[in-house]
Amino acid sequence: MDLGISALNYVTSIKNGDFTVEEFIEKTLERIKDVDEKVHAFLQVSDTALEKANKIDRRIKSNDKIGKFYGMPISVKDNMCVEGTITTCASKVLENFIAPYTGTAVSRLESDDAIIIGKTNLDEFAMGLSTEFSAYGPSRNPWNTDFVPGGSSGGSAVSVSANECIASLGSDTGGSIRNPASFCSVVGLKPTYGLVSRYGLISYANSIEQIGPMTRTVEDSAFLLNSISGVDSNDNTTVEKSHHDYLQNIDVGISGKNIGIVSEMTNSDGVSTEVMNATNNAIKTFEKLGANCEEMSLGSVPYAVAAYYTITSTEAGSNLARYDNIRYGYDFDSEGFEFNSYISKARKKLGPEVTRRMILGGFVPSAGYAGKYFLKALKVKSKLTTEIDNAFKKFDFLISPTVPIQPFKFGEKIEDPVSFMLIDFNTVTANLTGKPAISVPYENSNGLPIGIQIMANSFEENKLFQAAYALEKTVDLPEVPL
Amino acid sequence: MVKIGLEIHCQLTKLKSKLFCSCKADYREFEPNMNICPICSGIPGSLPLLNQSAVEKATTIAMALNCEIPEKIAFFRKNYFYPDLPKNFQITQLNAYGDTSIGSRGKISVNNKEIRIRRIQLEEDPGRLIYEGATERTKITLVDYNRAGTPLVEIVTEPDFENPSEVRIFLNILSDLLENLGVSDPGLEGAMRADANVSIEGGVKVEIKNIGSFHDLEKAVHFEITRQQSLHEREIEIIQETRHWDDRRKITVSSRGKEEEGEYRYFLESDIPWVNIRSDKKDQLKTTMPENISSKKERYISKYSIAPQVADILASDKYYSELFEKSHSENDAKDIANLITTDLMGLVDTREKRDSSKLLATHLSELVDAIAKKRITRTSAKDILQDMVKTGNSLSVILEKGDLNQISNRDELSQIISDVLSNEENAANEARLKPETINFLVGKVMQKTKGKADPIVTLEILKEKLGI
Amino acid sequence: MVNEDEIANVANLMRIDIEDHSVHIKRVQKMLEYFDILDKADIGSVELLVQETDLEKLRTDDHIPYEKNIIDFLKTYKEKYVKAPKMN
Repeated sequence: MDLGISALNYVTSIKNGDFTVEEFIEKTLERIKDVDEKVHAFLQVSDTALEKANKIDRRIKSNDKIGKFYGMPISVKDNMCVEGTITTCASKVLENFIAPYTGTAVSRLESDDAIIIGKTNLDEFAMGLSTEFSAYGPSRNPWNTDFVPGGSSGGSAVSVSANECIASLGSDTGGSIRNPASFCSVVGLKPTYGLVSRYGLISYANSIEQIGPMTRTVEDSAFLLNSISGVDSNDNTTVEKSHHDYLQNIDVGISGKNIGIVSEMTNSDGVSTEVMNATNNAIKTFEKLGANCEEMSLGSVPYAVAAYYTITSTEAGSNLARYDNIRYGYDFDSEGFEFNSYISKARKKLGPEVTRRMILGGFVPSAGYAGKYFLKALKVKSKLTTEIDNAFKKFDFLISPTVPIQPFKFGEKIEDPVSFMLIDFNTVTANLTGKPAISVPYENSNGLPIGIQIMANSFEENKLFQAAYALEKTVDLPEVPL
Repeated sequence: MVKIGLEIHCQLTKLKSKLFCSCKADYREFEPNMNICPICSGIPGSLPLLNQSAVEKATTIAMALNCEIPEKIAFFRKNYFYPDLPKNFQITQLNAYGDTSIGSRGKISVNNKEIRIRRIQLEEDPGRLIYEGATERTKITLVDYNRAGTPLVEIVTEPDFENPSEVRIFLNILSDLLENLGVSDPGLEGAMRADANVSIEGGVKVEIKNIGSFHDLEKAVHFEITRQQSLHEREIEIIQETRHWDDRRKITVSSRGKEEEGEYRYFLESDIPWVNIRSDKKDQLKTTMPENISSKKERYISKYSIAPQVADILASDKYYSELFEKSHSENDAKDIANLITTDLMGLVDTREKRDSSKLLATHLSELVDAIAKKRITRTSAKDILQDMVKTGNSLSVILEKGDLNQISNRDELSQIISDVLSNEENAANEARLKPETINFLVGKVMQKTKGKADPIVTLEILKEKLGI
Repeated sequence: MVNEDEIANVANLMRIDIEDHSVHIKRVQKMLEYFDILDKADIGSVELLVQETDLEKLRTDDHIPYEKNIIDFLKTYKEKYVKAPKMN
């Protein structure tokens, strides 16, 4: 039984009777016990998984209709509400928060008979790029545990990369799925804004974030997207779009397609030599596959990071205001305290990065600064969207390295705020414009992964998967050394 | 030169659900925190789901107040910390990026004076705070979120009022208008609240909050004008600030120190897409809107020749106008109108009386018909109405039960009148000398017969017996 | 220029209790200086693009009681209320 099996192959195996769900889940739990000490992907592991597996096996035996996931173990980033589980957002302020409901994306997986195997680690409240800001300790890159796994969906990426489960749901606000996907050599998709319901996703920057699948293969990503996507009456920002079967025609190839290489993301000083080389190789590969590759420019990209941090710190400052520990949170009696000072005391449990974003989020939208920063940021967002819309009139896809650099060591980047922000340089554009973007593992240099990012126009995930699949098929990457 | 402006908050109590979730809009019947869900209690990961009918009702309010309504409306977050605010921000509206609020630049006529409406906005009500504990030290603050998320329309006027009584008249007109529109029941406790701002001699604006009722509002405004004028006379600076109404001491008190932050960091609520309100929708809403009060009044006067004061009472009160519309026919409109605004009024002048009343429109038509046909006297109408309100019995049942038929039988009346005359010797003598005082005796006969005596026959017999 | 007073006011506004204002002053200053790059973007005439929906697509006005008692999941006082700290 190979725990590194793809989702599609897992389903085939179960249907063929190669092994039972219970056997696989048992092995999975053992694997987690084995390796999670080293990589700390999980904040919580389910204690009902075996029981659920057993039930599914019995239903299979009785020839019941089984949901398409056939009991496969899927992990969920701990910023998504799953009923009855403590949902911490990797923060101490939600140490005791038990979610009273399950969010839509997770619920759709469960309805299709997926087994939620556990909640994964993240940067606190999804603010970060390396999972170093989790209040419960960082996660570690399974390719080399001295290095960060990326963030903020670091735990999700690790759980899939280290074969602790078959797939994971992460969330992406500025690159939080794609960045750790690139760092951990897994496939990470940020869907079009409005394709996947955010009901149950604990908000950080609600105008741009999305839940997305993290998987070992591109087909698996399409498989998961089929289940979680689609309009939801619990989320008014979801859009009615005819539901594709994203697996259909995934292998048609990209011959004759036009690919734009975003020069601002590919030729900048911030891109390391290894990443540059990998990108050039990828471009050659695309050309061999029959696509026309051409350099192009998105003029507002240099302003995107500033716009991104302005908008997200404003929204975060508001979205996190409810964590006053009065209705839910952690144990801290308000007896003897006055209202305002209690809240400030209770929120001292917020980590340093979240604290910094709260301060920033108080500045930029405030009366004195709103016109100077916030409105300008919104305009950059709009302008960038127009630019990319125009680009997609000519190009089918836009590509770049997912992250300008390879994984770095713990503690290396978190001191300098500006250089830290710039790690997001290539990924924020897709969030600000709402376009779908996927990171495909491409190379492994000095034992550390490099991913290539492909973007497509809104709601064209089916096309996006075709390009990603074609690229993936040309690649033969090593097994994870764990 | 006194300038007063108002901010009125009106709950859309006629809606079934809250503004952003499907909990009940009218929270009054529930035990504490039994009318809440993840959305209105601010549970993480929940998202606001805008109520379609709330937008429609707010649109009709904007139309009734002659406002401009934009093609698209948007919502914003007003960020501040308070225990009754589950998310520590309120979702509200303002005009930014052009007109984004449901109504702007409207107007309404108050005593032939035009009051300008600056803006109308849809927003959510916060929860309620309850205090437990006897002393300041032991007092604890308890929160009930049942009201959190209840749909509110805030109406902001320009400072066009010049005195407290204008304010009072306006508020009455507004209450009637909102009730007539079918969007709110202003009589429900807490359904309508208002804050005021006051300035004099073109000076600074002082805001007054925490006013419990419209009655208090008039007092508060009056007090504040006096306070400012007194400061002004003594050449003391009037400070621009927020004050609250202290109901016990009947004064306004500075809220400095207790104030909310001025800094609300307003920004777009992107969980709610901008809502397109197409012009065909606006037209449809306009045609299905209930007729407005002044138009009703005009119609009652011109079509049915109803006296203006009567028409005013009927048109301004939804309960009466509905009763009128349902009960009158071609010929008896005037009589029905009179009956409602005289004998019926005292029986159904409060919400409790109206809630328990069993009177139907058909009762009124029957009654008016019977009076016209002289089966009963006009004076017995009040007693009959009382019975109808109390029991819901039809006229025929009541007449059978009691003996309310008009006494026209001469012999019967003659006996009664003789009795009255023997008891009222002085009045009888007076009437012989001054015939115009005979009405006193008529009254006595009416009293004795509980209004059932036929007044014309009574007068005849009296005159006979008195020899005048 | 960001000064200590401004940091203190903002921290209070956001109900964030910070001890070392100077650390935050430096960091916020750096970030805001970086954000000044937004001044260079040519965005004078840009119209804001927003997500739209139609009135007809909004939630219909129905009272649907929530399937469970949320109060059971909150920190409560006498199992009925949420207790807030004293208001000044």
